[in-house]
Amino acid sequence: MRTLAVPVAAGATLALVALIGLTYLRPPGHPTQAELAHQIADELRCPDCQGLSVADSPSGSATEIRTQIDQLLARGLSADQVRSHFVDRYGEWILLAPRAPIAWLLPGVVVLLGLAALTAWIWRGATRPTPVIPAQQPSQADRERVREEAERLDA
Amino acid sequence: MRHLRWLLIPIVLVPLVWVLNFGFGRDPAEIPSQLIGKPLPSFRLVTLDGQTMTAEQLRGKPILINFWASWCAPCVAEHAILSDAQRRYGDRITIVGVLYQDTADRGRTFVARYGGDWPILLDPGGTLALDFGVTGPPESYFVDAAGIVRAKQFGPLTDAVLAARVAPLLAAAIDR
Amino acid sequence: MIPTLGHVAIVVGLAFSVWAAIAFIVGARRRDDALLASAQRSVYATFALVALPCMAMVISLLTHDFSVLYVARNNATTTPPFFSVISLWAALEGSILFWTLLLTGYASLAIWRHRNRHAALMPWVGATLALIATFFFAVMTWPGNPFTRVTPVAMEGPGPNALLQNHPFMGLHPPLLYLGYTGLAVPFAFGVAALITRRTDEEWLGIVRRWTLVPWIFLTLGITAGAFWSYEVLGWGGYWAWDPVENAALLPWLTATAFIHSSMVAERRGTLKIWTVALVIATFTLTLLGTFLTRSGVVNSVHSFTQSAIGPWFLAAITVALGGSLALLVWRLPELADARPPGAPVSRESAFLFNNVLFLGITFAVLFGTLYPLAAEAISGVKVSLGGPWFSQVNAPFFLLLIFLMGVGPALPWGTARWSTVRERFAVPVIVGVVGVLCAWALGMRQAPPLATVGLAGFVVAIMGDEVVRGARARARARGEAPPVAAWRLATRNRRRYGGYLVHLGIVCMATAVAVSATMGSATTATLHPGQSFAVRGYTLTYQRLVTEALADDPRVIETRAEVAYVGPRSGSLATALRAYPNAQAEIASPAVSTSLGEDLYVTLLAYDPATRTVTLRAVVNPIVVWIWLGGLVVGAGAVFAIWPERRRVPVKALATAGAGVGPAPDLGPRSADALPGDAAAPLREGA
Repeated sequence: MRTLAVPVAAGATLALVALIGLTYLRPPGHPTQAELAHQIADELRCPDCQGLSVADSPSGSATEIRTQIDQLLARGLSADQVRSHFVDRYGEWILLAPRAPIAWLLPGVVVLLGLAALTAWIWRGATRPTPVIPAQQPSQADRERVREEAERLDA
Repeated sequence: MRHLRWLLIPIVLVPLVWVLNFGFGRDPAEIPSQLIGKPLPSFRLVTLDGQTMTAEQLRGKPILINFWASWCAPCVAEHAILSDAQRRYGDRITIVGVLYQDTADRGRTFVARYGGDWPILLDPGGTLALDFGVTGPPESYFVDAAGIVRAKQFGPLTDAVLAARVAPLLAAAIDR
Repeated sequence: MIPTLGHVAIVVGLAFSVWAAIAFIVGARRRDDALLASAQRSVYATFALVALPCMAMVISLLTHDFSVLYVARNNATTTPPFFSVISLWAALEGSILFWTLLLTGYASLAIWRHRNRHAALMPWVGATLALIATFFFAVMTWPGNPFTRVTPVAMEGPGPNALLQNHPFMGLHPPLLYLGYTGLAVPFAFGVAALITRRTDEEWLGIVRRWTLVPWIFLTLGITAGAFWSYEVLGWGGYWAWDPVENAALLPWLTATAFIHSSMVAERRGTLKIWTVALVIATFTLTLLGTFLTRSGVVNSVHSFTQSAIGPWFLAAITVALGGSLALLVWRLPELADARPPGAPVSRESAFLFNNVLFLGITFAVLFGTLYPLAAEAISGVKVSLGGPWFSQVNAPFFLLLIFLMGVGPALPWGTARWSTVRERFAVPVIVGVVGVLCAWALGMRQAPPLATVGLAGFVVAIMGDEVVRGARARARARGEAPPVAAWRLATRNRRRYGGYLVHLGIVCMATAVAVSATMGSATTATLHPGQSFAVRGYTLTYQRLVTEALADDPRVIETRAEVAYVGPRSGSLATALRAYPNAQAEIASPAVSTSLGEDLYVTLLAYDPATRTVTLRAVVNPIVVWIWLGGLVVGAGAVFAIWPERRRVPVKALATAGAGVGPAPDLGPRSADALPGDAAAPLREGA
């Protein structure tokens, strides 16, 4: 059984990756107007709440924005145009995520650098020969500890 | 070179403290208006008295548009200041109130209690508030006689703010 | 009279705290035991001197003494006693008072516990704690005096903030969090002491780990309680909004968790000293930063206390604490830095190190995201927002990698591993993970991050299950015990390892529940007349009637509730309401939640019309949400299990073979007992 497990695991992973890849490579279907409206509402900030999105907020202004999103989409505006409609009135502040690339890239870059630096450190350490440490006689304290641990093993 | 590592301290500390210190003295909730220098959004709304008012009707005189609500505590004090303003220069500028996220009944009760004889617009749904970019009452907008928005006041009006904002509008109107 | 006593106690406390700091420092330099003893007693005294004002404040709140400004602002004659008492921490000055109580409590406990040991470290630990306490006493004496008087004395007050008095968890969430925050001062103090005295040996590590784990448990439970409270109360069905103050609680939790992991490597290998010290320092500094963000008014948050003069004081404290600790770190860097990595590329040490990089990566991302709007405005003047979607999207890959490491790390041996062993060990769990993803897919989940979460969760659980079962089987075989008994005995003799498994299980449970409930829920909104129904995912809800009345406990609060009957997988009735508090602008939603292990039915009253009795209701069905809270409890239980003291056993005659179960390891010294059960005769110490 054990010997079968590895190839099965490898095969299953490959199949999963293929399945997911196919799903994402399929031409994206057009989201319905309702879905698009919800997506835009998720990205807009409710003006009189504390950081909630328009989609999540029950407040009056959020309800009105959702209505306006629906109306604008029905009139044929694209998602970008709908977003611009609100940015024209409230400024960039109404978007829940900033558009500046640095805001999106910086954390990822920092983490990648950290992972790369760590990998380099570990790899370099592995390829250098281990220094030989002369064998030491166990100290009295060590002996005591070994005896204690051994005594603790229950029958 | 050995002492380069001491640079770590200012590199970490200075930007952090500078950014945090910047936050003092400003209100994180206040956002600048996108309408400064742009024309007043057009509207066609009904007042508490049942009359219809449009943006075009207001042209010709400077306008003070005040968004308020009956449930807004600072609006009570601001209402007194507005009444005072109405008396002092109500003939030279138009004061218009807009009820924000509130019902006509509660608006009428408030006006009956605290007075005020300038038109109060009903904004069902809050479309006009959205067009102005209002985030919560009280907020006021100062519009010149040509219908261009000139200034925004975030929070309740005070005599000082009124004096500072209204004077240039009146001066510009006289020059025309 | 009582408030005056409270204020006097604070001022005296300041004096004792200053004396304690001076006496500790001078006593350490001069090795003067009398001074040190005096300093210790001063710290105990400061605890008593904060307990008094706390009691005074609680009494003032219960007796509605409106001559005290704090009471006048946060209490009303109609406030029920429970909420009066917990108003101690409801607003700024009271919360600082409560903070200081817990801080001096922890300080006293730490100093008392180690009073006769670690003579080199403790004076510096005491000095650091005393200096921190001095800061808080100073804040309470000057800008944030809780006992400021007000004249004329009003007859009535506005009562506590509406959102803080409509759920009993107001009595649980802040204390848990504060017990976490203040407790993290102790490891910080040990870290500072270690840098000053250059003692970062195993003993120090063991102490610091224990003093980090206890606040960590409180912080975990506090964050979970806060999420649960948000969910039950706020009406939008969410539990985490990446609000700045929520992030402020998460940041120290992340670095504390990183520390807990790297400390295991440090203990085993004797390396990573600077790194572990840096982590404990970062943890408390982030705590101070969080306290600052909540109370300074520089960021907008649902949690913000009102802006006050306290902000600059806290900024100064952060500058001193961070600057001072950085200076100490940089000073000792050459002596304590490591030249070599602790383990081979594929080893548990390396897995823990990658885990640390990821935790710190998330910490950086969350800190960056929280401060970005402020920084952007400072640099360019443009106001921007950075909210939930950014945090979720940026952090998702890091969290997923962490879950992967949660499975991989404990399964890799210390030191080094062969790829063939690793491959065999992971094969079946990978299959379990893939099956998990397929099941989720079949049930309708289509988004990649939750699918990955489910798959990785299956992977991790399978690995842990494999470890537990193999260990139990080996032990059962060797000793003739029944497998469940063997498993229990194994667990109680390896509390750290099995406690860790339980914590990981809890985390995986929470992650899966979050992934599933966030993406597989359904919501419907409807406007109804009395008697009308609407449907949501298998339930039919019928709106029956609208009732408006005052609350029994607090007659100034008018509640308008819609009574709704529901039929479906479960049936019953619930009442969802909007409450009008006298000092709140808009009405506060009081949603109704019907919880079961499988799903929650969550109904919010969005609007109502008293004339026509029509209501707008939003009903949401969230699958397995309750497992988020249960998972949090499992995490807490696992951590408690891990640090529970082991019973000393009676020594026995025969020695078991090293290949069978694993014996308990002593409290001190490197963990030698974590040999994998399947490995042959593992030596008591592996590696160099």
